Amino acid sequence: MKSETQRPFIEKVAQDTRDYVQSLFDEMQRLSRVVAELEVEIQTRDERELRLSQRVEAIEAEGRSFATRYAEVEEQNSNLANLYVASYQLHGTRDRDRVVAAIQEIIINLIGSEQLVIWEADGETELRHVGSFGVDAEEWNTITADDGLIGLCLTTRTRFIVNQSPILPAGREKSLTACIPLLLDDHLAGMIAIFELLPQKDGLAPVDYELFDLLASHAASALYCTRRAPVSAGVAQ
Amino acid sequence: MKKKVLLVDDSNTVLLMEKMILAKGPFEIVVAHDGVEGLEKAKSELPDVILLDVMMPRLDGLSACAALRADAATAHIPIVMVTTRAEEANIETAFRNGCTDYVTKPINAVELLAKLNNILENAAVAQ
Repeated sequence: MKSETQRPFIEKVAQDTRDYVQSLFDEMQRLSRVVAELEVEIQTRDERELRLSQRVEAIEAEGRSFATRYAEVEEQNSNLANLYVASYQLHGTRDRDRVVAAIQEIIINLIGSEQLVIWEADGETELRHVGSFGVDAEEWNTITADDGLIGLCLTTRTRFIVNQSPILPAGREKSLTACIPLLLDDHLAGMIAIFELLPQKDGLAPVDYELFDLLASHAASALYCTRRAPVSAGVAQ
Repeated sequence: MKKKVLLVDDSNTVLLMEKMILAKGPFEIVVAHDGVEGLEKAKSELPDVILLDVMMPRLDGLSACAALRADAATAHIPIVMVTTRAEEANIETAFRNGCTDYVTKPINAVELLAKLNNILENAAVAQ
């Protein structure tokens, strides 16, 4: 009797429970769909982030490349300015003293050495001192073929540059950095010897080699022109 | 607005080099060929910055620097010493005489422009 009266209640509880379970099941399915959607979204976002970070990296690399290129162009500009200044100074006068002074200034201020000697060719086998800075001029008054490495450069008409030659300078030439014959075609017009570089210079830079090339030909023609024009001719410009 | 730069050097090679470097920037150039002329031009032109060589005839750069600092009209002008010798003692002497900064020869264009721009920016902020 008692169970008969309880039956509707039990059925109601059972129905409620079924409904509740069903609603839980529905909610679980909804949440599963949400999770699946979120997973897709996360994956899309990850892919987008990856693409973005790759793009950022590419832009950064491009930026670095531009910065490097800019620095190279700046250096090139600076080097060209050096060469222009050197050339301008050498050809701005026909006065011998001023040409010699210009060569000295180029070596001191553009190459960076305060120890140098400039000789003019006296015939084919001898050099005569025409200018120097930071060295004893008397010691370097004349150079002949027998005078060490500089004499060898005189004989062979070849350039000596430290670290590019198997020969090591010795004796009074010990600190020789470069010896540059000044040549007009095959004719020797003179010679330049550069000894110690300034303390802040780590060594010769690429532009220094360009300046050596420029000095070798332009200083030669500038010196040669001073022979053709008397000292009293003064400034040509 | 162009900034006025006074170049003081007895070497035409250095002056030409400095002019070529500064031609890249918004600078008006004034030139003096020794320390005495440098002092005169500094007073008459009142530049924004001075590039001052150390070794010069008539009045060397270190003495000129001290004289510029001692004069109320020019005491505020930043001075960059251009030195051949970068030994510590020389640099110390330059700073003791009142220089703002220094560059060494051979002049590096990038370094010089960076230092000048930095000095001029600091001067603008200070004003």
